[in-house]
Amino acid sequence: MNKEIEQLIRDFDHHRYILSEELATSLYLMQSLEKPLLLEGHPGVGKTLVAATLAKHLQTDLIRLQCYEGLDVNTTIYEWNYQKQLLHIKLYEKEGNTAVLGDKIFGMDYLLKRPLLQSISAEKPVVLLIDEIDRTDEEFEAYLLELLSDFQISIPELGTIQATSKPIVILTSNRTRELSDALRRRCLYNWVGFPSRTAEIDILHKQLPEIDENLAAEVVTFIHNLRKSSLHKPPGIAESLDWAKTLLLLNADHITDEIVMNSIGSVLKHQEDVDFVKNKSVQEFLFPIND
Amino acid sequence: MEALQTTFKEHLIDFVFYCRARQFVLSPQQTLEAFEITEKHFLTHRKTFQYALKSIFCKSKEHADRFDEMFDRFWSRFYKEELEQRPFQLKAQEKKSESASLIFMGATFPNPNKQKEEEAKKTTGANATTLLRETDFSKIAAADKEQLEELAEALFHEMSLRFKRRLKKSKSGRINIQNTIRKSLSKGGLMLDLAYKKKAKEKRKVVFLLDVSGSMDTYSFYLLRYILVLKKYFKSLEFFSFSTRLTHVTPLLRTNDESAIYKAIGRHVKGWSSGTKIGASLKEFCDLYGHKFLSQKHIVVILSDGLETGNVSDLQTAVKTIQKRCKSLIWLNPLKGMANYQPIQKGIINVMPHLDRFETAHNLNSLLKLEKILMNV
Repeated sequence: MNKEIEQLIRDFDHHRYILSEELATSLYLMQSLEKPLLLEGHPGVGKTLVAATLAKHLQTDLIRLQCYEGLDVNTTIYEWNYQKQLLHIKLYEKEGNTAVLGDKIFGMDYLLKRPLLQSISAEKPVVLLIDEIDRTDEEFEAYLLELLSDFQISIPELGTIQATSKPIVILTSNRTRELSDALRRRCLYNWVGFPSRTAEIDILHKQLPEIDENLAAEVVTFIHNLRKSSLHKPPGIAESLDWAKTLLLLNADHITDEIVMNSIGSVLKHQEDVDFVKNKSVQEFLFPIND
Repeated sequence: MEALQTTFKEHLIDFVFYCRARQFVLSPQQTLEAFEITEKHFLTHRKTFQYALKSIFCKSKEHADRFDEMFDRFWSRFYKEELEQRPFQLKAQEKKSESASLIFMGATFPNPNKQKEEEAKKTTGANATTLLRETDFSKIAAADKEQLEELAEALFHEMSLRFKRRLKKSKSGRINIQNTIRKSLSKGGLMLDLAYKKKAKEKRKVVFLLDVSGSMDTYSFYLLRYILVLKKYFKSLEFFSFSTRLTHVTPLLRTNDESAIYKAIGRHVKGWSSGTKIGASLKEFCDLYGHKFLSQKHIVVILSDGLETGNVSDLQTAVKTIQKRCKSLIWLNPLKGMANYQPIQKGIINVMPHLDRFETAHNLNSLLKLEKILMNV
């Protein structure tokens, strides 16, 4: 393995994130080629946490933009500070100096910077996380193209603002809608899948050092067998961790039918899925699996 | 060293073309980035190089799922020692033609050259690709197997893309007031863009029942691959295999690693290459899974040659039950592709009146035709 990638895996491990070689290569490449990285995968597999851990690893700030339908330029890039502009218009009127008014009130001082503008005007490179990009409208996705390819933003009144430092951009998507080819073309890509059994046991130990080895193995076996069943929403790593925490709070040593009955709500979020599990014996889900 | 680099870059360009031929949209920018990583010490580690190229070349999950196999297939040609081993591997496969198993699926062919010539005679003037598309799976020469697999992969992938595009949401229908108002916020309250809503299409649910008995050996592999591709786009696809016993295969497909899927199927599927008890297996399906997978939303596709060794009346009853309880029942029979085929076997003749469609599945073209059938049901 490449030395830098090995180091990256070690550093992430230090920050309690177990990084696969494939994802580590993408992260290394992203910094090296100065390109955004698009992470797709099921909910709860650790896509958002990658960005947070990368920010810790690089000892820089994380700027997060949580996407939703109806997101627009005003909430993501910039907004004029109308109150401040009005105040200064009044002030200039009193002084009678209206000639320079237009230039002044449309300057950077009157701009409220939103996450995207903040990220490109930061003094040192920050990690910019554009989370759940699939939830935004196509228009906003199109607006992002300029930022992702040239690291610049155009503001009609000011012109083009070039990045003072290029942010490290990570986009995540749960594939609730297809992203445009133009956006995909500008990014490196990585599909974050569910980890292997051994890797998931390691994740539990990293996040919950107090967990018993056998209990961790049982939780992961149970979750992996659940993922193989036809569920509405297969549980992610986040659910494994939630359940393990619940079991620790309940002082459980082993997974029993009673424990499943009482705590499966922290793993499954659909009533049909809960019924499916409750109608079966716990032993069916503790059937040994191969890695 | 410089000469080696030049050769390597030429191969890298070949690989870009190889990927483009398989629906990877790669611009010169990606080629440049691939060159750039060759300068960054990625070449010393094959896996790292593979992951780096994967990150640059793949733009979707569908690409990522196929990339590893494509990378191995292409670059193993580049490494001489593997190239030299290939004729020996092929010979070894031909020798083992007596013992059909999952590992040798599609590679166990009696007297391949003669039969290939027979097929070729029927499609004179066709190029190699057309010939392969038309040739019966059971008559493909071992030497052409790899080429056929590549072609199958490419064609199935194209088909899957067509499925995906057809399933996309349309931008018409009734006006969605709530979303229109929300959209207008970014335009200062002016309703310039209208949002639409359309009644959600009822999801298609498909159940595949694949015969993996000895008589289907030469077909099972391609049919299996075909089902695996469809699985990616029909989320509610259920897959069962049967010979003398029924196996629910769907739970084994919940991984992206295709080779892991084949291994899991090899381990868990009961009675691969054994006898055929279609009636008993279908009855088992109705009894155990009927309540879940048989409804007016389900299309059931049975892939079998219909050579029943069990009780024929059991088969007739099971097929009748399935047809009554599902939306549509399709039987795909590879033997139907034979020139003088007549559905006179006891198994088939008894079930024919209960089928909605009876089609062939002996070559790539016939499998691709199923796409239209599935779309229209």
